[in-house]
Amino acid sequence: MRVSGAAGQRGSGAVLERLASLLRAISGMPDYQAYIEHLRRSHPGKGIPSEREYYAEYLRMRYEDGPTRCC
Amino acid sequence: MLVKRLGWLLVALAGAAAWAVLALHRGETINAAWVVLAAVGTYLLAYRFYSRFLAMRVLGVNDRRATPAERLANGRDFVPTSRWVLFGHHFAAIAGAGPLVGPVLAAQFGYLPGTIWLVFGVVLGGAVQDFIILFGSMRRDGKSLGQMAKEETGPVTGLLAMVAVLAIMVILLAVLALVVVNALKDSPWGVFTILCTIPIAVLMGFWMKVWRPGRTLEASAFGVALLLMALVGGRYVAESPAVAPYFTHSGLTIAYGMIAYGFLASVLPVWMLLCPRDYLSTFMKIGTILLLAVGILLVLPPLKLPAVTQFVDGTGPVFAGKLFPFAFITIACGAISGFHALVASGTTPKMLMKESDARLIGYGGMLMESFVAVMALCAAALLDPGIYFAINAPLTTLGGNVQSAAEVIRGWGFTVTPAQIDALAASVGEKSLLGRTGGAPSLAVGMAHIFSSAFGQGLMALWYHFAIMFEALFILTTVDTGTRVGRFMLQELAGQVWRPLGRTSWYPSSVLASALVVAGWGYFLVQGVLDPLGGINSLWPLFGISNQLLASVALCVGTTLIIKSGKARFAWVTLLPLSWLLVATLTAGWQKVFADDPRLGFLAHAASVADGITGGAVTAAIGTRLIFNDRLDAVVTILFMVITVLVVLSSAREWVLILTRRKPAQAKETPFVETAYAG
Repeated sequence: MRVSGAAGQRGSGAVLERLASLLRAISGMPDYQAYIEHLRRSHPGKGIPSEREYYAEYLRMRYEDGPTRCC
Repeated sequence: MLVKRLGWLLVALAGAAAWAVLALHRGETINAAWVVLAAVGTYLLAYRFYSRFLAMRVLGVNDRRATPAERLANGRDFVPTSRWVLFGHHFAAIAGAGPLVGPVLAAQFGYLPGTIWLVFGVVLGGAVQDFIILFGSMRRDGKSLGQMAKEETGPVTGLLAMVAVLAIMVILLAVLALVVVNALKDSPWGVFTILCTIPIAVLMGFWMKVWRPGRTLEASAFGVALLLMALVGGRYVAESPAVAPYFTHSGLTIAYGMIAYGFLASVLPVWMLLCPRDYLSTFMKIGTILLLAVGILLVLPPLKLPAVTQFVDGTGPVFAGKLFPFAFITIACGAISGFHALVASGTTPKMLMKESDARLIGYGGMLMESFVAVMALCAAALLDPGIYFAINAPLTTLGGNVQSAAEVIRGWGFTVTPAQIDALAASVGEKSLLGRTGGAPSLAVGMAHIFSSAFGQGLMALWYHFAIMFEALFILTTVDTGTRVGRFMLQELAGQVWRPLGRTSWYPSSVLASALVVAGWGYFLVQGVLDPLGGINSLWPLFGISNQLLASVALCVGTTLIIKSGKARFAWVTLLPLSWLLVATLTAGWQKVFADDPRLGFLAHAASVADGITGGAVTAAIGTRLIFNDRLDAVVTILFMVITVLVVLSSAREWVLILTRRKPAQAKETPFVETAYAG
């Protein structure tokens, strides 16, 4: 799930992190924490890319694959 | 249970009462509350009952079936997302300038025709289309509309759909760019603010890519803050005699600037310009729409525009043509938008956590977009009708100055004084608002009225430029992302002719394809700017026709999906809006090409210009160009119509084959997999 970056946290930091996740998801921004959680959970053997590598890959996928915005 | 039923009865009664008030009301003004109530009441009922029927009976959503987001979860594009978050994401993707501009232009018929079409068009047409395409794509691992057309109806239909999308893209980008040009010409404040978005975006780009990789929210907060500073700073630029001239430009200069910008944005790496502007514009868009909703509910402004004006007879100055069919193509996006079918079959279906969520996101998301369009209509209708026409009628019709404009508008039966027009322009910090066609400026004036009554009197000028900045920002985002998407489509098509041209990473091919796409919309844009009637007159109907024809293609695909899943008895849910769209849009297309009235028909206009050249009223150079453009517009319109008719025919052939059992009813869905989520 996208809104899972705050798992395990408590207090105002968790609320802020949830809000950040929400804003990221709505605007289609990448969520690095959620991605590496997914990797650790589903593909434990695989290496974890750096945030820089992850961002570059995200950009490629987002803008080379049909329209993401409407008129 | 009883309480719930009573509640829905109450909603139904309130909605019906509001419609009755709208229909029967006589008098000078009517409160926007009635429009909002009628719309929201209808949306709620349609969502509760009709979308439930679609979900349960027609589509057969099944929450035991795992969605692609669950099966193919990869933490990138296939990500199960909670439904309200995804609702926000999907809405941000579908909401654009279309639903804001169309209703403002169609307000020349009065507020009632637009309201009726927006509300009933969406519940029976637009929301159905979005829901079914989203659902179909979800059942096919997120395939695009073109791929679905190809797999379910055949390769020819798929190819036609691709060509149609590319052609529509070119017209769409040209007309949206023209809206921005008309809002920014001779406006140093606006030009300064919009120019500032470029360095701000580049700064954000470096932040997110180089300095603090991936910190997108941080960079966006910084970008929004800078942007608001640029907005406030624009006033000083506009008021400074030394600096203002550098930012005061004619429409033509701005048009060439935008063409250059579109090309650059398409060939530069995305992280530098495109992506940061995308974020900026999303946040501005969501923020401003929320602000507008709160403002309208707080202020509940009286609407001064008549329910129906005399221009339903086709003599209107904003665009030519009668109420039928032109109201139904001028308001495209808020009621039904073919473009949504492209978005609904892109990212969103890969993020649905449960099948039943598609109802809220597909159907509900489109209701929300329709509501944005209703708000835009209210913002235009709260203006004095005289002011509305002073801003939206072409300068040539108005005679070029405030005195002649007031005279012409009086002739139409609306009172406005030259002093009022001047005072309004001064209050929003512009030299003149006369003949600023395209809808954006009058919408901005309406929004500034609402914002300044709700959140702070005396800030009219700032709110006006805030609204202009918001519209221009996300239209330009459509222009740059659209150019890039157009470039990929063109490369894909060209790659079928000569393979290397299809490689999107091959630089010469990218540059060539970008240049071709930019040249395509740039040509229509420049001709629109040079057009003596302001361009919106001819380009907006062309855009409306193309968008509605794309919706027809999407509804054809939707019908095929329904019939192939063995639910032919329910095919009327898409056939009904499809027939209406075809009737309205093909009539409009036919009239735009062949009508005898030179204000309406492209060919009649070309003939009248030819007469003008012979009679000496038009110079040969200008006349030849106008005639060429009329003929080009006619050819493009006919092209759209032919493609659509071909898609309808080839789909209908498929339907008949299945219904007469000469072909098995077999949808190419991904096989069933049981969900692992607890039920």
